Amino acid sequence: MRRGFLLLLAALLLAACSGPTAFVEELPAIYPDYAGVTIPAGIAPMNFNLPAEYSRVYVRVSGSEGGSLKVRGRWAKFPIRAWHALTERNAGGTLTFTVLGRRDGRWTQWRDFVMYVSDAPLTDYGLTYRKMPPGYTTYSRIGIYQRNIHNFDEDPIIESTLTPGQCVGCHTANATDPSQFLFHLRGAHGATLIQQDGAREWVTTKTEETIGNVAYCYWHPGGRWFAGSINPVRQSFWTGDQRLIEVFDLASDLVVVDMQDHSLVVDPRLTDPDYLESTPAFTPDGRTLYYLRAKAYEVPREVEKIKYDLMRADFDPQTGRIGEIETVIPASAEGYSVTFPRPSYDGRWLMYNKADFSIFPIDHKEADLWLMDLETGETRPIDEVNSDFSESFHNWSSNSRWFLFSSRRADGLYVQVYLSSIDAEGRCTKPFVLPQENPREYYHNTLYSFNVPDFTKARVEFDTRGVYREVFSDERVQATVKP
Amino acid sequence: MDKGFKAMATAALGAAVFAFWMWAYPQALSYQEQNQLFLFSWDYFRERMALPGGFADWLSEFLVQFCYLRAAGALVFALLSVLLQRAVWRAAGAPGERSLYLLSFVPSLLMLVYQGNVEVLASFPVALLLAVALCPLFKKAGWHRLWLIPLAWWLLGPLSAIPVVVSLLDLFFSTDTSAANASDSAEKTVFLRRHFSDDLRKIVFSATLILWTGLTAFVEYRLLAAQYPPRDAFFGLNYYRLVESLPALQWVIPLVTAAVILVCGLHLQVHSPRLAAGVFSVLLVAGTWGGVRLAYDRDTFEVLAYDWLIRHERYPEVLRRAERYQPRNAVSACSVNFCLFTQGQLQDRLDEFYQCGTEGLVLPSIRDNLSDITSAELLWMMGMPNITLQYCFDLEASIQNGRKSGRFMRRIAECNIVNGWYDRAGKYLDILEKSLFYRRWAQEKKELIRDGALVAADPVYSYIRQVRFKDDFITNYSALDAMMALLYNQEKGNFMAAEYYTAWQRLKGKEGAQ
Repeated sequence: MRRGFLLLLAALLLAACSGPTAFVEELPAIYPDYAGVTIPAGIAPMNFNLPAEYSRVYVRVSGSEGGSLKVRGRWAKFPIRAWHALTERNAGGTLTFTVLGRRDGRWTQWRDFVMYVSDAPLTDYGLTYRKMPPGYTTYSRIGIYQRNIHNFDEDPIIESTLTPGQCVGCHTANATDPSQFLFHLRGAHGATLIQQDGAREWVTTKTEETIGNVAYCYWHPGGRWFAGSINPVRQSFWTGDQRLIEVFDLASDLVVVDMQDHSLVVDPRLTDPDYLESTPAFTPDGRTLYYLRAKAYEVPREVEKIKYDLMRADFDPQTGRIGEIETVIPASAEGYSVTFPRPSYDGRWLMYNKADFSIFPIDHKEADLWLMDLETGETRPIDEVNSDFSESFHNWSSNSRWFLFSSRRADGLYVQVYLSSIDAEGRCTKPFVLPQENPREYYHNTLYSFNVPDFTKARVEFDTRGVYREVFSDERVQATVKP
Repeated sequence: MDKGFKAMATAALGAAVFAFWMWAYPQALSYQEQNQLFLFSWDYFRERMALPGGFADWLSEFLVQFCYLRAAGALVFALLSVLLQRAVWRAAGAPGERSLYLLSFVPSLLMLVYQGNVEVLASFPVALLLAVALCPLFKKAGWHRLWLIPLAWWLLGPLSAIPVVVSLLDLFFSTDTSAANASDSAEKTVFLRRHFSDDLRKIVFSATLILWTGLTAFVEYRLLAAQYPPRDAFFGLNYYRLVESLPALQWVIPLVTAAVILVCGLHLQVHSPRLAAGVFSVLLVAGTWGGVRLAYDRDTFEVLAYDWLIRHERYPEVLRRAERYQPRNAVSACSVNFCLFTQGQLQDRLDEFYQCGTEGLVLPSIRDNLSDITSAELLWMMGMPNITLQYCFDLEASIQNGRKSGRFMRRIAECNIVNGWYDRAGKYLDILEKSLFYRRWAQEKKELIRDGALVAADPVYSYIRQVRFKDDFITNYSALDAMMALLYNQEKGNFMAAEYYTAWQRLKGKEGAQ
C-alpha cells in the first residue's frame, strides 16, 4: 500500500515536471532530411539532429519485417551493430521512426516518418573523395580520403601536408576497383601517379605535341588504357550577388594513354585548337568513348558562349585507335551545355549534367543531373534528386544500383555527397546526404567541400612514405606520342 | 642580496620583453593573431591533440588569441620569456651563483631574437618552456621515464627530448665525492668496482632511454603524423608556420637550452662574481640587441606595421612612417596609397611616395597571407565584395600551416551578408562565435541576418550594396580601371572609385612613358 502510494507520488511529480507530451501532425524538422529516403542495408547509421532548441531526443525505430531500436540523447545516434542488424532484417521493407524532442522541459512528438530499405545491396567498401575548401584560387590543406560507408571511419589516402607545395588532383579508380587508380599531382614536382596492384609509376604525360599533363581521366575497363583530358584551368569572379565564381579551361585536348608503353594516342580530331575536348568516359564494353566538345571562345570574356556537346567515338581496345565520331547530344545547338558523362557499369544508363554553359557545373545553380537510357537514347532530368542548387559530379556503384553525386543544396556553397538508388526502369529514389556521426555538427562546422566523389569496391591501400620519397625524387616516366 | 639581484634581473627581462612587443614590434602580435583562430570547442581541441606536440600547439593558440589586444599579447610573451628563464634556472638545480643566473637568460633572449621571424609559432616557446619545466621531474623519474617520454612527446612534440637529454647528462655529470673520502686502498677498490658497475648501469639506462625516445618518435609519427614529411615529424609539426623550411635557430635554441641547464647545474665557482655578472649582463644586452637587429628584416617590419595600423584605421601613422622610410615593394605602395586616399591626399601626394605602377594601387591576387590584405580592404570599400571575398579566402587559405583567421573570416562573412547569402554567412558566424574576441561581433551579425531589413538598414552593408555593380559580369582583372569607371558612372557617390581610377590613369601613363 505504502509502496503503491510512493509510486503514484513519483509518477505525479514526474508528470508535473515534464508535462504532457504534445502531438504535432507534422514531420519532425530533422537534419539531414532523411524522411522518405531509400537506404541500402548495412549502411552507416542514419543519425540525425532535431533543431538546436531541442535539448533531448528520443527515437524509436520499428522495422516492417520486425526488429526495433530505441535511442535517446542530444541527437539520434544509433549503435552500429544494432542498426546493421535492423536494416539487414528489413531489406526490401521499411523502417518507421517515432521521434520525440524535449524543449524547455516539455516533450513533443511528431508524425512518424519512414525510411525505405532497398533490396538492392550496396556491396562497396565505401567512398573516395577529395576534401578541399570551396576554393577560389588558393588552397592550404586538401586531401584525398576514403570513407567506409558502413560506419563513420574516414582515413586519408594522401593529404597535401605530405607533399608541401603540390596540389593533389582528382583520384580515379578503374570502375571503383582500387587496385588500379591514378591521380595527378600539380606543382613543381607534378606528375600523374598510377598505381596498379600496389606498384606505382610516376608518369609525365606532357609532351611536345600536347598542351600539358592529363587532368580528368577515365580508365578503360580492360585496364590497359586510360583517357584523359588536358585542362589548363582558370577561375574568375562574377560581380553580382547571384553567382560567385566561374571556372573555365584556357584550352582543352583529349588523349588516350597506353599503359603498356606509356605512349599517348593523339588524334587531331580530339586536339583541335578551335574546340575544347574534355572529360572522357569509356563504356563498360570498352568499345566506345564518350567525351565533351565545345567551340572555343575567348575566356573569360565570352565564357557564357562555351557550351559542350556530348560526343561518342568508336574505340579499338587492341590499337587504341579512335574511329567514327558522332554527336550524341547537340547541346550547344539547343543552348545549353552537357558535362560529366558517366555510363553505368552495367551499360544501361548514362548520367550527365546539364547547365546553361561551361564545363564546371558545381558553380552553376541551374545545373541538374540528367539520365540517358542507352537502349532507347531517351533522356530525362532526374527530378527525384535534383534541387534548386547545383548538382554536379556523380559516379556509379560497382553494381550500378546506386549512384552518388555532389550538390550545393545545403547552403549554396559547401558541397556534400548524396546517394540515391536506381531501379531497372530508371526510377531513382529520394537521395540522402552521406551519413555522419553527428550530422549537424559535422556539416555545419566543416569548411571543406566534398570533391570528385566515387565509390570504391575495397579499401584503398597506399604507401604514403613511399609516395613521399618518390614525389621529391623527380624520377618520372616520360610518356611519348604513339606514331 | 643575491635574491634581490635575481628578482630584479628577472623583472628586468620581463619588462624589456614586454616593452619590446608593446612598443617596438606590436605589428608582429597582430600578425600572429590574424593567422590563427582559436575556438573554444571540443572539436578544436581534439584536432590539435591528434598530432604530436598538439597540446603545446593548442595552449599556444589559446595564448596568442590575446594578441588581439596589444598589451595582453605583449604580456603573454613577456610572461613566457620570464617563465622560460625561471624554468631553466630551476632545471639546473637553482645553484646560488649570481653570474650563472644570468646564463639562464640566454634561451629567453635567443627566443626573442628568433621571434623576429614572424613565422615562428608561439608553440615553439610554449613547448620549450613546458619541456624545460619537465626537467626536474625527469631527473627524479627513473624508469618512470619510459611512460613519461611518449606522453611528453605527444603533448609537446620533439622538444620533449630536452628533459630526456638533460636528465641523462645530469646522471653523468652529477658529482660523487665518496672516492675522495675513502681512507684506504680496500675501500677505494670497493668504490672503483661500484663506480664501474654504476657507470655500466648508467650507460645501459641512457642507451635504453635514447632508443626509447627514438622509438617513441617513430611510433608516434607512424600513428599520428603519417601524412607529414618525416623531417617535420622529427623537428616539430607546429613550431614553424612555413613548410619546407627549417631555420637554424629552431634546433640551435634547444641545444643551447640543454647546454645552459647543464652548465648552470655544474655549480662552477667564479672568482669575481660581481665582475662576471657585470660583464655577462653587458654581453647579454649587446648580444640580444645585435641579434634583434640582424634578425628583424626592416621591410617586413614596416609592411607588417602598415597592415597593423590599417587594421586599426590609424591611416595618418602609416603616412608618417612612410615619410621616414618606405619599403620599395608593391605591398607597401598599395598600403600607402590607400592611406593617402583615406586622408584625401591620393591625387596630391601620389608622387611623393614610392610607386610601382598600377599594382601599387590594387595588387593582383598573390598567394600569400599578407600581401593582398590592403587590396581586399579597399576593394570592399569601393564596392567589389566578390573580389574581396576571393582575396580574403585566398589570404586565409595561404596560411601555410592550414589555420583559419578570425580577421579574414569576419570579412568573408560580411561579403556573404552583403550578397544576401545568409546561410553561408551564418556558417562563418557560428564558427566565429566560438572564439573569444570575435564572439560578440558574430552574435550581433547573427541577429542582423535574422532580419533582412536590418541588413538593409546597416550603414556599411547598405552602402556597399548601393555602390556595387548593378550588372552581373565576369571580372576582368586586367581592366580593373574600367571596372572602377563603371562603378563611378553608375553611382556618382562612389568617390573612391573615381579617385582610384584617376590615380590608375596617372600611374598607367607613367608606366607607358617608362
